[in-house]
Amino acid sequence: MSEFTVEAELAGTVWKVEAKVGDALEEEDVIMIMESMKMEIPVLAPETGKLLTIQVAEGDTVREGQVLVTMTASS
Amino acid sequence: MSFKDQLSELANRQKNALAMGGQEKLAKRTEQGYLDARSRVDFLLDQDSFREVGLLAKSNVKADRDCTPADGKVSGFGRIYGRDIGIVSNDLTVKGASSSETNAKKISYIKNTATRSGMPLVFLGESSGARIPDSMGAEAMSQAGTDPQQYCRRRETPWASAILGPCFGSSTWYSCISDFLVMRKGAVLAVSSARVTSLAISETVDSEELGGWRLHADKTGLIDAVADTDGEALALVRKFLSYLPAHSGEAPPVVPLKDWTAPDKEKLLELVPVERAKTYDVRKVIRAIADEDTYFPLKERFGKAAVTALGRIEGQSVGLLATNPMIKGGAMDPDACRKATGFLVMCDSFNIPVVLLTDTPGFLVGVEGEKKGAPAHIMNMMHALQLMSMPKISLILRKSYGQAFLNLGGGRNSDEMAVWTSADVSFMDPGIGASVVYGLNPNDNPEAHAEATEKLRTDTSAYDMAAVFGVQNVIDPRESRSYLCNALKTHKNRKTNGVGRHELANWPTYF
Repeated sequence: MSEFTVEAELAGTVWKVEAKVGDALEEEDVIMIMESMKMEIPVLAPETGKLLTIQVAEGDTVREGQVLVTMTASS
Repeated sequence: MSFKDQLSELANRQKNALAMGGQEKLAKRTEQGYLDARSRVDFLLDQDSFREVGLLAKSNVKADRDCTPADGKVSGFGRIYGRDIGIVSNDLTVKGASSSETNAKKISYIKNTATRSGMPLVFLGESSGARIPDSMGAEAMSQAGTDPQQYCRRRETPWASAILGPCFGSSTWYSCISDFLVMRKGAVLAVSSARVTSLAISETVDSEELGGWRLHADKTGLIDAVADTDGEALALVRKFLSYLPAHSGEAPPVVPLKDWTAPDKEKLLELVPVERAKTYDVRKVIRAIADEDTYFPLKERFGKAAVTALGRIEGQSVGLLATNPMIKGGAMDPDACRKATGFLVMCDSFNIPVVLLTDTPGFLVGVEGEKKGAPAHIMNMMHALQLMSMPKISLILRKSYGQAFLNLGGGRNSDEMAVWTSADVSFMDPGIGASVVYGLNPNDNPEAHAEATEKLRTDTSAYDMAAVFGVQNVIDPRESRSYLCNALKTHKNRKTNGVGRHELANWPTYF
């Protein structure tokens, strides 16, 4: 099973973390919601897999490209 | 030799050519779940429509005459949905479908005939690159490149490619200059193989990393679609071509009334939240506007803040270009602009009118975008939109701010613009504007910031635009489909029967 990271697609603030470590996520499930450009922007699972680690906390400011979580692909 | 003997010889030669690289190699492919070059042709084309040319072609190297059936590239003509096309299918079981002097002539023949006669062209890619040792040495290289138009694209007819195995050399080149490129998972698209690359740079290289589907779907944006199997990839080629005309001199085919159905328009009121801060998936909006089951996304995993898709409205092919608030809030980044530019080029080349659906907080700003040359990508897209001569109908669903407003058809950059009642148009988000214009920080001074935001929020509505004829109409979201359909009819160029000027047809095939 290959491990991969999910990075912030844009700079902003982590507003709400929706998923938990160990969750089995489907492609496009919401992992967390960021606040940027006056919008609540969801961070989505790029593919089906399990959430391994969450590397940011609510309220954190993140840069574009910063690793937010790690996952393992289910296939 | 009597005719009887001659005919027997012909039959024997044909049988040997049809046997491809031999039973053993073919059986191995079947075991792996891959179709062979000829089965692919049969799967792709309408039943029994394949007319092969060059079956008895072989290597020009005499010693290889008996082991190069069809010289590794199956070529000919056939039909898809009743329309004629030209096709080249690489046969990996014959010398790795490597490029040779003879099979280069075959490709050239199919390509030139299809272009001259106005037929789409399909390449089924799976080849190892130049044939070695035939192409080694200065003398051999001097025979290469004798066709000065070999890789020249003027988009006279549509080209579609499927990457169905390892693709290096010419099958990579032809794929990259196609209008549609689908890749089967497990296939590889690269300049040269992992083995050759590893030897050249003295570093172990993994095939997937070098040119796997994830790389091209997510990072390079070279491919338009991904398929799990050969069959699925070939079905996507058929579907893609169904939206396009056979050549640039005609309008795309129209699906008759009995063969399309309208989606449930009531959904449109639920799909888009009225609150500006909330996001949603614009692909659901597109599905609720286009004819059912006609949404055909291109580069869905790349530059995702923009959605580019083919579809139909009342049977008529349309290009749908939308910002997607679910990704980056709908703020287009350089990749989204590159994708949009390529899409406009294709639509302009093949007489497909474009519908632009907008909900965007503006272009994505930030250091990462600037490093990728964001301003030039924004202007490439704008340039393409302004050169495009097909009807452009723009619809603002909710927000449209700044230069992005213009890039998505605002001002006179579309032939007609309508807005939903929820539209909100300005130079930038009022909340950000309050900080910029009045120097107010929402954390330090929330009340003054809120008051200033509210002040900037006035005069940004659909009716403010309509009052100065900045838009042609304000519409009920549920009328979107019928409105767009009528607008497309109004702006169709009757004088040319819907054929455009194609000023983008010679633009690059990658941005």
